[in-house]
This record gives sequence, structure tokens and C-alpha cells, in this order.
Amino acid sequence: MAEKFLIQPDLEFIKDIRALGGESLKKCFQCATCSVACPIAPDNKPFPRKEMIAASWGLKDKLVSSTDIWLCHNCGDCSSQCPRGASPGDVMAALRGKAIEHYAVPQSVAKAVNDTKMLPFLAILPAIVFLAVGLGLKVFGIHWLNFSPELTAEGQIAHGNFFAHWLVDLIFIPLSIWAVAIFALALKRFIADIHKNALADGTTTKEKIEIKPFLMSIGRVIPNILKHKKFSQCGENNNRATPHMMVLFSFIALAFVTGFFFIYLYGLGIHGPYSQLNPVKILANIAGIALIIGGVMLFKQRYEKVGEISTYKDWYLLGIVIGLGVTGMLAQFTRLAGFEFLTYLIYFIHLMFVFHLFAFLPFSKLAHLVYRTVAMAYNDYSERDVKKI
Amino acid sequence: MSKKYGVYICTGCGIGDALDIEAICDIVEEEALPCTTHEFFCSEAGVDVIKTDIEEKGINHFVIAACSRRVNHNTFKFEGCVVERVNIREGVVWSHPRDQFPALTAEEKEDEANFDRVQMMAEDYVRMGMARIEKVKENTPYIPETLSKRILVIGGGVTGMAAALDAAATGYEVVIVEKEDAIGGHSAKWRNQSPVSPPYDKLIQPKAPGLIRQVEANPKIEIRTSTIVARIAGEPGNFTVTLKKPGEKIEFDVPYPLPPEMRVDETGKELDHEVLIEKYKEYNEGRRDILSLDPTGESFGAVILAAGWRPYEPAADEFSNLGWGNADVITNYQFEELAAKGKVNRPSDGKPAKNVVFIQSPGNGTDGDFPFTGAITSTVALKQAKYVRDDYPDGNAYILYQHMRTLGLSEYLYKELQQDPGVFMTKGNVTAVAPKGGNLTVDVQNTLIGKEIQLKADLVVLGTGMVPATYDDPTVNLAYRQGPGFRDNELFDRYADSNFICFPYETQRTGIYAAGAVRRGLSIEESMEDATGAALKSIQCVESVNRGVAVHPRSGDLTFPDFFFQRCTQCKRCTDECPFGAIDDDEKGTPKPNLARCRRCGTCMGACPERIISFADYSIDSIGSQVKAVKVPSEDDYDEPPFRILGLVCENDAYPALDILGLQRRSYSADVRLIPVRCLGSVNVIWIKDALSQGMDGVFLLGCKHGDDYQCHFVKGSELASIRMKKIGDALSSLALEEERVAQFEVAIDDYDKIPDIINKFVSDVEDLGPNPFKGF
Repeated sequence: MAEKFLIQPDLEFIKDIRALGGESLKKCFQCATCSVACPIAPDNKPFPRKEMIAASWGLKDKLVSSTDIWLCHNCGDCSSQCPRGASPGDVMAALRGKAIEHYAVPQSVAKAVNDTKMLPFLAILPAIVFLAVGLGLKVFGIHWLNFSPELTAEGQIAHGNFFAHWLVDLIFIPLSIWAVAIFALALKRFIADIHKNALADGTTTKEKIEIKPFLMSIGRVIPNILKHKKFSQCGENNNRATPHMMVLFSFIALAFVTGFFFIYLYGLGIHGPYSQLNPVKILANIAGIALIIGGVMLFKQRYEKVGEISTYKDWYLLGIVIGLGVTGMLAQFTRLAGFEFLTYLIYFIHLMFVFHLFAFLPFSKLAHLVYRTVAMAYNDYSERDVKKI
Repeated sequence: MSKKYGVYICTGCGIGDALDIEAICDIVEEEALPCTTHEFFCSEAGVDVIKTDIEEKGINHFVIAACSRRVNHNTFKFEGCVVERVNIREGVVWSHPRDQFPALTAEEKEDEANFDRVQMMAEDYVRMGMARIEKVKENTPYIPETLSKRILVIGGGVTGMAAALDAAATGYEVVIVEKEDAIGGHSAKWRNQSPVSPPYDKLIQPKAPGLIRQVEANPKIEIRTSTIVARIAGEPGNFTVTLKKPGEKIEFDVPYPLPPEMRVDETGKELDHEVLIEKYKEYNEGRRDILSLDPTGESFGAVILAAGWRPYEPAADEFSNLGWGNADVITNYQFEELAAKGKVNRPSDGKPAKNVVFIQSPGNGTDGDFPFTGAITSTVALKQAKYVRDDYPDGNAYILYQHMRTLGLSEYLYKELQQDPGVFMTKGNVTAVAPKGGNLTVDVQNTLIGKEIQLKADLVVLGTGMVPATYDDPTVNLAYRQGPGFRDNELFDRYADSNFICFPYETQRTGIYAAGAVRRGLSIEESMEDATGAALKSIQCVESVNRGVAVHPRSGDLTFPDFFFQRCTQCKRCTDECPFGAIDDDEKGTPKPNLARCRRCGTCMGACPERIISFADYSIDSIGSQVKAVKVPSEDDYDEPPFRILGLVCENDAYPALDILGLQRRSYSADVRLIPVRCLGSVNVIWIKDALSQGMDGVFLLGCKHGDDYQCHFVKGSELASIRMKKIGDALSSLALEEERVAQFEVAIDDYDKIPDIINKFVSDVEDLGPNPFKGF
């Protein structure tokens, strides 16, 4: 700790943070009103005052591997009380974006996901993949992508007859592995870095990271995350806690539904469509509706919020959330209504959204799900909040 | 003019309800003076009563017992008349409400052993007013025989030029003397300067060249370069100034007083007057005495001292922790010189200085900035950081400060530079600057970023200060007995500054007005503003002296100290003690007052042991008569006579504070009798002796704070009073009186709420001592 910290400002980093929504960061004059205003910052070296100066000095290494940018829940209290209009909340959000980009490999994908200009290409990428794989398989006589799907024996529309579950899984299982692998690689570096940083800053009591106690910390923070314990302490953006919770629980529920039907399908060999009275189906529908409502509310709150900067990364994630929910529900409604062409088209689009969700999870803002959980677990593990005598 | 007196008692504002006005009138009539009452004297009808008496009865001396003299001043001002205001409203009725000081009932009045303290107070004040007005003399204003309205500006930098232009624009003739061979000063040579006008966020071209052109083109301004002041003799409105070339030795170079160590013999005893005179002549060999006027000297009415500054030059062993001595560690002034030449390169090898660290505080735990910086070096560092960024798009400028101070709207410059991605600022304590691989490393502790950080630098710039010209040179070279410069300037780090917070340009020498960096470390904008202030002050000076009135702070006062020389013992106390050096003396030691230098505080009157100095309306006699007019009840009058305490109250802060107490209906002992004085310095100990010898039980002085942070409006008054009060102890013990019967208290105007406790505690302390044994004699 007594070691001298050699400062080498990274002007590019400053430029990037400003472009990512932290435009105002250099307005900070270090009064620390933000750290006082923050309802959730720890007493020991509270944020975001120190992040503000580190950002304006371009200290990239210190910031991308900081736990504190993840402990921040973007309450916005700091920004609304900042006497200088430096918007620490926006700067912290920009720093998180930069951190996700920093730890994700390959870097080129991370850059593309966060680049507005790449959106048209990324948007149609899943369609290209689906068609390429689907049509490619046709060459071998495998018609998992069937452009003239038949109705089921009961005369119902089955999406599986258009876009076979085999094709879905052929694409999405590797995608899931890809996401998990990228996260694994990123987290390995991330955890090592935040620990090193915490040691330098004196915000940890632990010399080394031991796996078991660390996993126990994860176990301890997850219930708090689910309860949105920190989020609901927020002042300014407190109203975001409920819709955020809706979206989070919807994702969890839909993950459960997906897993359940995976077993249903491959374990029991029962194909969809499943009965609307199936309890799992009911859960899926509730989750779908909650996802849409939560997503739209978050969109509205961001859109109407004066003084907060929302950037591409924010809109991209909300687009995915709302798109997933809307296309999912519409695919079901049109299927039940018997609009064959329409329902197949919407289902196709829905799968495109799912592709984005999986493929770009480690690169987009959605990665906060993982980084914030790990950072909060690390904070718990480091015993920083424990009051020392 | 034959004196015709009249006493006027106002019964409005609760006075009539609280007091027995008839009884007061009886006292007036006992003195065979007419007593007139009115329920609203400051109304038009009330004033008409007085005006009618002026016209019909020829009354020309008025005692008006009503409100404080600090209100309704113009209402009760009558041409050709003397008015004495007796403060029975704030001073008696309001500050001693009847619910706390009940009036006597009709029954109680029957018994002569009872008395009404508040009524006694009002009656005494009326007696005191009548006593004083009798002593007010006629006064002929003092106007110097020859008058000049020309203004001398010492220093041709931005401050001097701006002051000259302002004074010339008002129609006055100005002479600028500049010791260099060209006017313009330091800033004329700079690359840029900090902004002086909205939006205050960009550096601008130096103002100096434009000012030079204006000054040179102005027919009312005469410029003398390579010229300094040899001496300024005389007084405001009539200064005789001898100018010379720098380095020249002439007979009119100002003589210096003997330093204290030369004034004593081996045993530490003050030498005889004659010996001192000889030594003085020896010490000032080749220089004429202050009293001999230069026949070829030029006449000026007032002087603006804008002699400016020189850059601080650190000693060879200074700031070793900051690497001073390394070729690439330079001062901000040296950096400015480099920047003026073009892109900033390192002095050591001429390579571009792309990473520049600006250090604002000497470090190693020092909280303050460098010496002589005022609050200006932060702005300088911001300006120079901008040079780095302008010269090199990939340059980094670091500012390490303990205090980032940007004055006034210069805050916008700070805000603007904050936005520059290549400007980095943090508070921090610089511990070491050391060479490393052809560059420098800068170690900083306790920064906003972390406990210990290190920076790499091509060049380190120290934010050193501006040493005022008056640091080691009087500059004004006044031919005054007290010496050529300003007294006690150590208090102000030898800036030509004063504690005249409300009157920043006034120095301790009337007619000399300091402006710009000679006064304290200032920006160009502030210096130019200062210049306007000093120019206006100098105009006020010449336009007051010509009418025989005091310049400031008693602006408009027509009176002046009058010396009765036959009785002077040449003790030189007045010459020594005058806070403004207004009094010179000749070889014999006889004082030679220079009345236009005088500020009319009366310190000389307080100092004079022979009591030969007085003002027409403020004299040993007039205040002494007031003291004697106080009726001191003794055991002959009452079984338990009330105590009588005299309070001599400074009219600048303490007296207004007492008025505030009245306004707030806050009370203090009714046994005190207060007399306002011009300054505690004017209090002559004879008044205290008079009070005690006529049986008053105690005397207190209430005035301004003295010492290093003095608030005395006349610099030295309250300090001198405290010295005299200490000495009075001996005199009291010779009378077998306790020293505790005399005390001095310090109050500021905002200390009014403390005054009741101060007074009441003193009264009760005196009561504990028991009554004055002289009572009744």
C-alpha cells in the first residue's frame, strides 16, 4: 500500500468514457458530495468521488478492475446532487461499459456490440446464421428449416414444424457454451484484477482469494440481489427497482421454463405446443407479460429522465428485453389465432432476439448480471463493510 | 458670534412616557437656559420649532435631547449653528426599559431616600450636553497655502497606467514615474494573461500594450521613465517631490530616522536629545533634513503607489525537496519567459516540455502556497497549463495544489481548463522531485487519487510569488520624521497594505494610495480595479484638502488639532505616536504639525501630557467638562448612593454597537455614563483622573481590537490607549485607589450582544471594591 503509484494518464480512455455517456466527467472538482449523497456506498473508501478523479486523470487500469463501479446501482442521487453537473452516475455507467468491453474477448466483438454503426449488421446476423445453417442442412436432406410447415395432427400450428427444435438447439447450445466460456475467461482476469486493486486500495482484509469462502459470499449476496436490497435503497432512481425486478425474475422464470421443456422434450419426448393449462406454460406466460411490462417501464423511465445520459448500450439492452417479450408473446398469440405466415415470421424474429441475448451477453450491458454479482460477492468476501474497531 | 443656547427635549419614541420631562426641564432652567419640548422633533413641525427659534430668538447653540446622534443627522443640521445631540432614546429609554428599571411610584417619590436610576441617567446626559456645548469653539478650516491637484503615480505597470488613465479621464494631470526605461511592467512581456472580462473562460492577449498606447496618447499624462522618487515632502495637496535617476545620490535623498540600536548608549539608556541630533546628522551625511524643502521639487496633490512587484527568487538551498537547482525545475516567472519566446522547451536540453508539473505549494506538509503568492498563483498555473496544451496536443499539464484559488469569475477559467483532457489537477503534498533517466519524477502524498503517487515530468514549475516593491525599499521615500516608509509593515509581510478592510487603498499615510501588487498578490484584473479605487481616493484627497476638510475616515471634518505651543515641553510623544506620521519636529523637538496629513483621530490629544492639543469641538476641556457635569451622589444625598461609572466609548464601533442594544431593548447597568470619543487613542488620562477625583467609582474604555489583527480605524489608537491604561495604575495607587477601577475592553460592532455583560461585570466588580473614597469631597 505504501508503494508509490505511478500515474500515466490514458487520454484515449478519457475520450472513450466521455463518448460512452461520461461527457461531464471533467467538471468534477472533487467536493465529494456524491460520495456523501450515495445511499449504498460503503463507509470505507466510498465511491464515486475517487472514481471521478481517476476517470478524469485517465487511470484506466484502476477503473476497469474496480469493484466499486459495480457496487454502484446507478441510483442517480450523486448526479442529482452534484453541484457541478458532473453526473457521477453517468460516468460510473460509462466506466462499467468500458469494463465489460475490457474483459470480454474477442475484443472486436465487444467493440462491435457497443458500436451503433454495427447494429444493422448485428441485427441481421442471426437471420444469416439461421438461414445458412438451415439451408446448409437442406443440402444434406435435413429439413429442419421447413418453409411449408404442416399443421399438427390436432390441426394446430407448431413452430417446431417450421424451425425444428433440433435446429434451435444446434445453434443455441453452442452459443450458450460460447457465452459461458467467454465469461469464464473474463471472470478469471476480472477477479484477479479487482483483488489486486482492492489490496492496493486497502479495501480488503484478505490476502488471497479462497474458492470456498468466495462461493459462500456469492451464496450470501444472491438473495440480496434477488430482493434488490441495494437497489431499493436508491433515492433518485428508486422507481426502477420494481420494473428491474420484474425483468430479472422474468428472465429467471423463462430460463427455468426453457430448462423444463428441454427435459420435457428430450427426456419425455413430448413435443410442443404445450397446453395453455400446463402450469409451466402459465409461468412462461406470466413471465412473458412481466418482461414486457418491466422492459417498457424501464424504457419509459430512462426516456423521460431529465439530466441522465442514456447511451446506445442502454437502449440496446432495453431493445433486446422488450423485443424478446413482445415477439415471444406475439408468436404465441398469432399461433393460437392460426395466422400461419405471421406466426412463423414472428417466431423467426423472436429467435433472432434470443440469438442476440446469448451471443452478445458477455459483451453487452447485460453482462452486468455477472460482473455485478461477482463484484458484490467480492465486496462481501473482502469484509470491507464490516466495521473495524 | 455671540453664543445663544437652547435645550430641546423630544418626548416621542417613548421618551416622554419613561421620563419625568418636567424634572429635566427644571435642571435646564436652573442653568438659565430655555427648555423646549416637542412630541416629535424630527417631524417637519418639530424642526420648524427650532428654525423659528433660530430666526426669532437668534439661538445658535442647540442641545437636542432625543435620539442618538447617529440618526437624523441631516434633520438636526442647521447652517451656522452648533448642535449637541443628547442620546436619551437609544442610550437611556430604549436600553433601560421601564419593565426592568421601574419608575418611582407617587408614594415612593415622597421619600427622598428613593431615586430613579433611569431618570438620573437622562438628567446627567442633559447636564453633560449643556456642559459640552459651552466649550465648543469656532473653527477656521486649515487649507495649505499652495495647492496642487496633480497626481503622482509611482510605477508604470498595468496598475499605474490604469490609475493614470482613470485619473486623467476625470480631468486631473498625472505624472507616471517608472524606474525601468520603458513603461508596461512585467505583463507587457507575457504570452497571454488571465481574462479580465466575461466570459472569463479564455486567456487573452496582455492588456499592457494597449494601455501603453493609451497612456502615451493621453495629453494629461506625462511619463518619466528611468526615474524614481528621491523624496516626497510636505503634505497632501501640497507635496514637494524630488525625482531622480535610479542609483543616483543626491542631497534630497530622504534621510532615515536613527535605527533603535543607535538611539541608546551601552547601558540601553536613551541618548540625550543633542547627541541624538548629532548622530542623526552623521547617519544621514549628505542628505538634507526632512524639513528642508527642495526648491526645484515638483508639486503634487496626491500619490498613487503602484510600484508593483518582482518575481520571487528562491535561494540556492531553498525548496531542495522540490529539486530547486535542477535546470528543469524553474519558477512560474521563468516559465512565462520561456513561453513568451515560443513553444516551451526544457532549459536543460532544449527538448519539448510535454509533461509539465506545476507545483503550487512548497510541500513537505506545508499547507500554504509559496511566499508572496496571495491567491494568484493558481490562476497563473492554469494559464501556463494552457500554454503546454496549446504547444503540444499530446502534452500533459499537471497542477498539484493545496488550494486551488481562482478569484471572482476567474472560476470560469478553471472550469474551462478542467474540461481539457490533458490538464490534470489534484490537491497534494509534494515530497520529492528527483531526476530519473533524463526526466524528473515528482512524488506526491495525500492526493485526491491516492496516498502516494508519482508523476513523470519533463519540466517542473514552482508557483512562486510576487515580492512587493516595498519589501526592502520604502519606495515612497517620505520626508516624514517617523521615517520614509510605512510603519509596522511587517504585520502585512511588508506589502503596502493596511487593516483598513473597508478602505483598501488607504495607507497609513494620508495622500498616499497603494494599488496593485504592491498591496498584495493580485491578478491584472484586480490590479486594474485597484487602480480605479486608488485613483478615486487620490481625487478625494485633493478635493478635500482644498476645502480644509479631513479626507478619511472622518471625511468632511473641518476641525484639526490645535497646539498651544507656549506650554510644549518638546517631549515628542505626539510626533512619535501619531499613527499617520502627521507631525514632524524641528531640531529642538518642537512639533510641526502637517494638518493635511492628519486624520483627526485625536491620538496626539490623548498623548500630550501637557494637554496642549485640542480640537475646536473636541477638546480636553469639552470632554473634561462633560465628566465633571455628571452628578455623583454621595452618602449626603442617599443612604445607599448609586455608583457612578464613566465609560469612554469609541464612536466607530463601540458606540454604534450600543445603539444596536437600544434598538433591541437590551439593557445594561443604569449607573454608567457614556461619552463617545473619536478614538480611544484620543483619551487623555486627565479625564480618568477627573472622574475618579470627583468621586466616580470606576472608568472603562470601550473600543476596537488592537494587536496584529487590529480593527482600530486609526491603526494605533486602541493600542496606545491600552499602554496608557497600564501606566495609569501607578497614578491610581498614589491616590490609594485600586487599579481595577480602570479597565479597557475590546469590542467589534458585531459584538454588541456581549456589551451588556462586559458593562455589568465591570460595574459589579467595582461595586465589590466599594465606593470611591473620594466621593463627597
